[in-house]
Amino acid sequence: MASKVTMRIQRFDPAVDEKPHDQDFEIELPAGITILKALNKVRAEKDPTLALRYSCGSAICGSCAMKVNGHARLACKTQVSDCTVDGVLRIAPMGNLKILRDLVVDMDPFFDSLGKAKPYLEAGNGSVPEFERKQRPEEFLQIDPSTTCILCAACYSDCNVLEVDDNFFGPATLAKAHRFIFDSRDVDTQARLRAVSKKTGVWDCTHCGECSTRCPTETKPLERIEEIRTKAMADGFHDNVGARHALGFRETVGKRGILDENYLPARSMGFFNLPGLLSLVPIGLRMMMRGKNPPLIPHKIDKLEEVKKTFARFEELRK
Amino acid sequence: MKYALFTGCVAKGAGRENLVATYLACEKLGIELVEMTDAACCGAGVINEDNPMVADILNARTFALAEAQGLDIMNICTTCQGVHRKAQRKFEGKPKHLARVNDELERDTGRRYKGAVKIKHFYEVLLNDYGLEKLKGKVVNPLSGLKLGAFYGCYATRPPEVNDLKNPDDPDELENLIEALGATPVRYDDRLKCCGFPIAMMNKPNSMQLGGNAILSAKQAGADAMVTPCPLCHLNLDAYQPDMESRVGRKLDMPILHIPQLVAMALGVSKEAVRLKTHIVRPTGLLAS
Amino acid sequence: MELVGQMDVAVITKVYPSRSHSGAAQGGVAAALGNVDGDSVEAHIYDTVKGADYLGDQDAIEILCNDAPRTIYEMEHLGCPFSRTEDHKINQRAFGGHSFLRACFSADRTGHALLHTLVEQTYKQGGKLKVYSEWHMNRLIVEDGVCRGVVAMDIKTGRLEVFRAKAVLFASGGYGQAFKITSNAAANTGDGIVAAYRAGIPLQDMEFVQFHPTGLYQHGILLTEGARGEGGYLINADGDRFMSTYAPSKMELGPRDIVSRSEQTEINEGRGAGPNKEYVLLDLRHLGKEKIMERLPQVYNLAKDFIGVDCIEDPVPIQPTAHYSMGGIPADNDCQVYLDDKGQQVTGFFVAGECSCISVHGANRLGTNSLLEALVFGRRAGKKMLDVTPGLKLADVNEERELEAAKKEIATLYAGDGSEDLSVIREELKEIMTYKVGVYRCADDMLQARSEIKGLRERFAKVQVKDPGTNFNLNLIDALELSNMLEYSELIVSGGLAREESRGAHFRTDFPTRDDQNWMHHTMAFRTEDGGHELRYKPVTVTRFQPEERKY
Repeated sequence: MASKVTMRIQRFDPAVDEKPHDQDFEIELPAGITILKALNKVRAEKDPTLALRYSCGSAICGSCAMKVNGHARLACKTQVSDCTVDGVLRIAPMGNLKILRDLVVDMDPFFDSLGKAKPYLEAGNGSVPEFERKQRPEEFLQIDPSTTCILCAACYSDCNVLEVDDNFFGPATLAKAHRFIFDSRDVDTQARLRAVSKKTGVWDCTHCGECSTRCPTETKPLERIEEIRTKAMADGFHDNVGARHALGFRETVGKRGILDENYLPARSMGFFNLPGLLSLVPIGLRMMMRGKNPPLIPHKIDKLEEVKKTFARFEELRK
Repeated sequence: MKYALFTGCVAKGAGRENLVATYLACEKLGIELVEMTDAACCGAGVINEDNPMVADILNARTFALAEAQGLDIMNICTTCQGVHRKAQRKFEGKPKHLARVNDELERDTGRRYKGAVKIKHFYEVLLNDYGLEKLKGKVVNPLSGLKLGAFYGCYATRPPEVNDLKNPDDPDELENLIEALGATPVRYDDRLKCCGFPIAMMNKPNSMQLGGNAILSAKQAGADAMVTPCPLCHLNLDAYQPDMESRVGRKLDMPILHIPQLVAMALGVSKEAVRLKTHIVRPTGLLAS
Repeated sequence: MELVGQMDVAVITKVYPSRSHSGAAQGGVAAALGNVDGDSVEAHIYDTVKGADYLGDQDAIEILCNDAPRTIYEMEHLGCPFSRTEDHKINQRAFGGHSFLRACFSADRTGHALLHTLVEQTYKQGGKLKVYSEWHMNRLIVEDGVCRGVVAMDIKTGRLEVFRAKAVLFASGGYGQAFKITSNAAANTGDGIVAAYRAGIPLQDMEFVQFHPTGLYQHGILLTEGARGEGGYLINADGDRFMSTYAPSKMELGPRDIVSRSEQTEINEGRGAGPNKEYVLLDLRHLGKEKIMERLPQVYNLAKDFIGVDCIEDPVPIQPTAHYSMGGIPADNDCQVYLDDKGQQVTGFFVAGECSCISVHGANRLGTNSLLEALVFGRRAGKKMLDVTPGLKLADVNEERELEAAKKEIATLYAGDGSEDLSVIREELKEIMTYKVGVYRCADDMLQARSEIKGLRERFAKVQVKDPGTNFNLNLIDALELSNMLEYSELIVSGGLAREESRGAHFRTDFPTRDDQNWMHHTMAFRTEDGGHELRYKPVTVTRFQPEERKY
């Protein structure tokens, strides 16, 4: 059954417009139509000057990511009916990237950022392709999710950290890093872990979850970032605030079953990091003034010994 | 109505007013709470990254403790709620994994988690179990005239398969709750964004910019105060607000409230009793005491 | 990759490198590795010759199959993730028309895995490789039998540039966009082949267009043949596995041309499923959730997202979809392009992949042989270019004249009176091609198609590009593409009309049998001065397999 939909499309032509503006297109759309097909219907029937990117139409080339009702999605695999609210469908270009025209954004910063992950296999010496190298099925499965990435940049568009800091590696780049860190054939694992453990790497991710929520594939960057952090911790990359914070967390919960909010900030900064420690003073004083500072003798849970037993086996439980 | 109350760490530390207000609100509503004094930290996603197995054992233990009492868990922190739900979805989807977690848990504690516990945040208890109509009937001090911006917090909305919101991309659950309490909800652009708390120590400038932007967005939309179901969002947006002001170069003066404080006040509890004064940003206007 | 670092190399692409339609190939890439059974290169050659319905050039097919294992190992060493066997080798699955388990695969994203592995190499090369993304190629410059470069337009700015080069390689893909139901990307509008054709180069075997049996109903989106390789059934409205009638021994794993025709016969004879009996069904239910999610996750997602069918619970509506262009720019086994039917070649012009016709696929390509062809012949082209280019000089180009010509072509598209609509003409063309030049063809239909396309070309002159902008002017690109589609569609029809036999993907209901006596020939279409064309023929190269009846 066809229905009338108002497609509210954000338009912008830098040659003519000062800033982006919305334009409404009332259009009759058949049931089961995708947003990409609807946009092409707008181009065919209403306005041939609407600019957008698309190619494969089957969710594998990654060209047609755009914001639908405020969130990045692939237009080709998204049904109009799933996103229309009170008869209105809002379409806008992706975020965090400069608009070139209408729904087309400048992809260069995105593609350039991938380079930070050194996005190719380091096979080491003696790699002569006379036969395939062996890889266990479970080793293949470990990189299976991160190799599904189609570089559509939906995660880049909605990443909260990139919104405030374009030096951040970003979710797609970290997923790409994951793809090689966890490839059993790669010989550069430790150098890769060192690189992503630095500032602007994995520990700068704020865990907002936008990347995984918007990801149209199984890449799910946040989960990949978490896996990198786990491996970086296990492999001893502890010399950064993020890793120290995790270690401190482990220590206090292991000791009391509950977090010690007095201990953790100082532990995270590093007990010998004077500027870092000093930076904690104003907030500490502020909280003390309001009686908000955590109790000086920190809390403990009941039956603590149960939890302590588990923490005693911490390394063993990494398996 | 009776729940096992999982307080979370913040309510025992820097955000004690959240716990106080929760008890006061539940008392007014006749909701009985059994505090889980023996439950350990949910791991806040941090232990999960450090050692996923340990985090799963801790959470399975928490669920088993509630299960033994025949109670569902009520959280007052969306981070705890999100972490618990994630663990629960994992257990549901991977029975073999749950079996292994249970074996380890049993070895350390003699307990096993069978899988019957439900995880609910305080606001979900109000919305789904208690009911907004019934709640409205209990409101004696409608917060009329107050314009409130709900700040959901990441874990409340993402990933969508871990929460129970009807439309996680554009939810209205908290707005409905605000309305039921007599206040006016303000929808603003950044209401689903990250407050920046998780990177407050790793990258403070970014954290302050995130939080500052969110507050600014609420302010520009006309909010008198922001209200959040996550005490970590509260901690960042409130305690660090002076730093955010210098980061965004604007005076913000935005009071940040916990959901239970709001509910308790609407039910007739005084501003003093819910400890608004312990906030770094002192409530002004209609919230001033 | 063969050239980078040794000479100044640039890649010009209409999209971005990672957006190429090779990424859409799902099921696998063929190579007789014998990792799971007793496969041999010999068997691969025979299967390909037979699959091609004996129109493939057997010397080229031998090269393709012989070089396949080395190619796969090379890609594996570059980092391509492959699904593995229990003994940790590259896993291989069954595929239509292949008599052994020969398809190496990466779940059901093999093309994507290979493409991204190559894209990753562009990062490894760093600054040594210049990529011009989102440039539209307008003209190929060939003069006196020498290729001198191309004229291309920066889609971001509308700027036209002449790219002079000692050697040019086209890897510009196929021409399936002329069909209504197609698995092809929007970008597959035959820009490369038409540019070559307009530069005086003939196009070979254009009438051979493969229809893939498992296009998602109405969308045409490809569901991999791997779905049948993993054991999926094709059933009609009555739930019968109808392939038992048409290919009793291979069943669902018959070659694509035969399976597509079988489906169309079921639909035409009223055994189609659905309210209008317009489709048949791909049934995966018996494979179970675990196998579907591990081996065919993309199939699951496509069916779910595009038509809301959960293939674990329900069979998926499918229909034949225009998929692969066997025809293209003729070239020798080193990818150097032919200028005529006598073996004369264009200096400095090379082709590889779907835009080429070497011809390894003949009248019907076997699944998994296309990724292989692109890899094997892409490398061969590179090696040959490395070999010959140092001996070539950078040929003179009258840049001004070339730019003027490109500008004039664009100006013409703005000069129409606007009484005709671009998208209407495009839709009509697609309908004509799908319904009159599709799975089943006959003289009546194709004669009609010929006159209708002629009419469309006349009407196209009245189309007017409405967008005056210079950046991302899709309206202009649409017009340039439609002009290409109209031009090559005529050649598909002409070649099909002339070829009075049925061979591979080309099936004539009025000439239902293969005619080896008269038609062991490649069609070559030459552009004439007046914008029309002329057909000539050249014999197929047969080395060791004489044509025999093709049974599955």
